[in-house]
Amino acid sequence: MIGARGASLAYNDHGRTVYACREVDLDVRPNEFLGILGPSGSGKSSLLYLLSGLKIPTSGDVTYNGANLSKLGDDERSRLRIREFGFVFQQPYLLGYLTALENVLVSSPQDRRVDEALSLLDRLGLGGKTHRLPHELSGGERQRVCVARALLGEPKVIFADEPTAALDHANGLHVVQLLNALRGSGSLVMVTHDPTMLGEADRIVRLSNGIVEEFSDDENDLSLLRGKIGG
Amino acid sequence: MKSLSDTDERLSPDGDRTPQGSRPPTDARRPRRILKPLAPSTYLIRNTGKTIPLVGVIVLAVTLVSGIIAMIDSIPYSIRTVYRYAKEETGITPRGDPTLLPQILADIRKHAPVPLERIVVCRATGSIVKSIVGKWPFLVLGLKQDDMRYYAEREGATSVLGRYPAVGKPEALISAPVAKNLDLKLGSVVLKPDDIDNYAPVPVKVVGIAQTDRWFMVDSVEFQRDNYFPPINDAMIFARTSADQEKLDHWTVNRFKGKRPVVFAYYQIEKNTKEMFATLYAILNVVISALALVITFMMGMLMNIYQSQRLVEFGLLQAIGYTKKQILRRVLSESVAVIALGWILGLGLTYALLHLAKSVLMEPRAYSLDVLDRQAYLYTVPIPLCILVVATLTVVLRFRRFDPVSVVERRLV
Repeated sequence: MIGARGASLAYNDHGRTVYACREVDLDVRPNEFLGILGPSGSGKSSLLYLLSGLKIPTSGDVTYNGANLSKLGDDERSRLRIREFGFVFQQPYLLGYLTALENVLVSSPQDRRVDEALSLLDRLGLGGKTHRLPHELSGGERQRVCVARALLGEPKVIFADEPTAALDHANGLHVVQLLNALRGSGSLVMVTHDPTMLGEADRIVRLSNGIVEEFSDDENDLSLLRGKIGG
Repeated sequence: MKSLSDTDERLSPDGDRTPQGSRPPTDARRPRRILKPLAPSTYLIRNTGKTIPLVGVIVLAVTLVSGIIAMIDSIPYSIRTVYRYAKEETGITPRGDPTLLPQILADIRKHAPVPLERIVVCRATGSIVKSIVGKWPFLVLGLKQDDMRYYAEREGATSVLGRYPAVGKPEALISAPVAKNLDLKLGSVVLKPDDIDNYAPVPVKVVGIAQTDRWFMVDSVEFQRDNYFPPINDAMIFARTSADQEKLDHWTVNRFKGKRPVVFAYYQIEKNTKEMFATLYAILNVVISALALVITFMMGMLMNIYQSQRLVEFGLLQAIGYTKKQILRRVLSESVAVIALGWILGLGLTYALLHLAKSVLMEPRAYSLDVLDRQAYLYTVPIPLCILVVATLTVVLRFRRFDPVSVVERRLV
């Protein structure tokens, strides 16, 4: 589905080349929950931006269903994101002048999927707050609206960049559970520094200094990795 | 997909969802209408606190510019209105030589390029009318009885309140605008010995008010011959149609160019007025341009501030998949809507204020003000255009190197 081959993302920092990600080889498979773990500054978010087409690798390739994202234009990658992907960011970014329902509808520019949006908000426990503006919602509720926005239109892949960062642990865990429960047949790629958020992950990738250090995809490995990072 | 709602919820009749069986005091508030999320109107409607000041600045700018131009324009407009009577005739005076007039008229009768309807030999004396810029000279024509009636009709009088002046008597017929301007009624004294502006050796009373929008004052030619110096007759030549009158005006002016007689033609009044105001309009153009520049600069800054406040929104939209072009198009549509609204409301406010000024300040004194002054409204066109150009440049420059990741990573907020 999504494949990264030798993908690197380098920045020029006052004449010095700094790698956010270095020669990453990674696949995102259909219908899986892929966790990307790592401490702050390890390059997790950069990897997510590469996989989602928000950034272009400075070397190597990232492909989506065979199409090389580097070879797509800015507009084509944008169209791919809105058509195929869903996004949840660290901060529950919503448009302040739109209601919860309208914020969800933002991710469906062509069709007005009002019924689907209402249904999603309902399932996310916001059925009674669809007409509220973001400032009338709590932080957890706002992030749940972001989740609904990401899920609208049944995207093929949902990218979640530390979606629990602005929430307390219980609320954060709840949001991750909701994302995983409602993603349907789509894949979920979630970046986090907190291994306890990846309890439902099918696979976990551990990143350190922009380099993929470990893969875990069976239950024993997963428990071990969660334990290592958690401990 | 399983339901993960915290409470059992059902759709309420108004379309909102409320917890079943409980009073929902906060959620039962009137649901906001669902708007198309990214339609330009949605942002403008939901952000009236930002939209109204922007629209307000444009409204004030448009009103200021068009108001100034309309008021300045009212001066030449007043000149054209007050002396409009001259459009009906070609006036000629032998400039101090009473023996010349018969020759002049014979020449005109023989060579005039258009058929003549009437030649009126008259006398004229001076008076004063009021304008918004002070006193203006005005003629009191001394006419014979039948000429007086012809003249009043020619100047569009539909009726006369009172009567025409009697032969040789100190009586005057004035038109309704003159009566309003000088606050005169039937029986009022219009010319008198102790008034240097409106002098007559004996008091001249108003005995008739002609109902027309033209300005004129007439009295008996016999009265003028008996009471005014110098004893020189003038003449008014009337053509049959307006087009012929204009031809006659031009022909007469050219015929007597460089000769002793003086010709009074309406087109000369228009030409002189234009020349007189050319310098004033040149100065005005500089002032208005400076004003437009200041307003545009200010609006550009305001729009820049408002767009800076929306960087998170733009970053988010781009991150989730909106193209730069789509966002740019949307922001520009919003700008066009704000600018167009401000301009239209500005024109509307100008129209309303000019109407108010006309009815409260101008009309009671018969001062002229054109509330539909085309030039005043045309002068405002550069304002929205300049603001739109600045707004477009601001947005385009901002988007040129915009990276949505910098927003979602909170590097820009």
